[in-house]
Amino acid sequence: MTAVACELCPRRCVIPEGGAGDCRIRVNLGGKLRATTYGRPSAIHIDPMEKKPLFHFHPGTSVFSIATAGCNLHCLNCQNWQLSQRGGEEMEQIYRADPPEVVKAAKEQGCKSLAYTYSDPVVFYEYVYDTSAIARREGLNNTYHTAGYINPKPLRRLCGLLDASNTDLKAFDDGFYRRVTGATLQPVLDALVTLREEGVWLEVTNLVIPTLNDDLAMIRRMASWMRDELGPDTPLHLSRFQPQYRMRNLPPTPAEALDRARREALDAGLRYVYIGNVPGHEANSTYCPTDGTLLIRRVGFMVVENKLTADGRCPTCNQKIPGVWK
Amino acid sequence: MKTEHIRSGKGLRRRRFLALLGGIGAAGVAYPVLPRDRRPRELSLREADFYRPHDLAG
Repeated sequence: MTAVACELCPRRCVIPEGGAGDCRIRVNLGGKLRATTYGRPSAIHIDPMEKKPLFHFHPGTSVFSIATAGCNLHCLNCQNWQLSQRGGEEMEQIYRADPPEVVKAAKEQGCKSLAYTYSDPVVFYEYVYDTSAIARREGLNNTYHTAGYINPKPLRRLCGLLDASNTDLKAFDDGFYRRVTGATLQPVLDALVTLREEGVWLEVTNLVIPTLNDDLAMIRRMASWMRDELGPDTPLHLSRFQPQYRMRNLPPTPAEALDRARREALDAGLRYVYIGNVPGHEANSTYCPTDGTLLIRRVGFMVVENKLTADGRCPTCNQKIPGVWK
Repeated sequence: MKTEHIRSGKGLRRRRFLALLGGIGAAGVAYPVLPRDRRPRELSLREADFYRPHDLAG
């Protein structure tokens, strides 16, 4: 009986033969570590890029999005718990889709980008890596929506194939991470810095939950850390919480609380702070930080107006707007 | 007297009712823990509806 150690995420599960790691899908089969969901996604959809959300990366385009079961976090408020908190064999349906088939399908559907998303792509790492390598050869972009709970070595290896990432920073508080997600803060901060260092286009999402992580002093500390470590041009998405899964005792985040959090983040020096899950809010749109010109107007996940110049500048003051625009 | 009572129509109906009740109770206890083959339905990519509305975040 040979146990194997999974070095992929900071949990570093030691898995006995025939057993599974904390994520449910990484198993020890005959002394070898295997991901049971390799080539077997349970969710495949074509979404707007804005849904990831990635606002400064090919706006208005469609992204071929896939996910398998399993996750290495166990957030009490998980919106996708029916996918993330199950093993592959517990799903109602599974697609047979090896990496070349995924890339072929994305191209046939006219998508220029792939997204590894919904659950956490960290746990189906090998599938992401192999699919990304083929997608890169075929001229497609690889985007990643993750909680960033991954060890530095595998993340750096993957970064060579990634074009963009929206990474959750669920709170700027280790106690919150431990209580609400079952993870810890520092590895997430390290992952964010690694993504920035490796030149992956990075946007950050913070889900603001009433009473748990909506303290303005904490928002200020988080935004200041982002400004210093990731740069003031890193977009921050402050998203509205909705009661979900095992956290139904709290109300949805009031729009005013999101407005206050946004002001705090802007005051801390971040230049692009958005409000998510509030359709029609003016902070769904992108504004020039120099003269306030409305640059990209969004309604929900739709881009209804894009005034950026071809090389990504404000048409009024010629300010260069950071992002990957074409 | 006792034997006559059990063999009477009234006693028989009561025993049958109690047996039925016991059977339903036992099945209710056993059903959730019985092994079942609930493997996921396997589909090819050709069967996927990529544009089906969904409520997954991300």
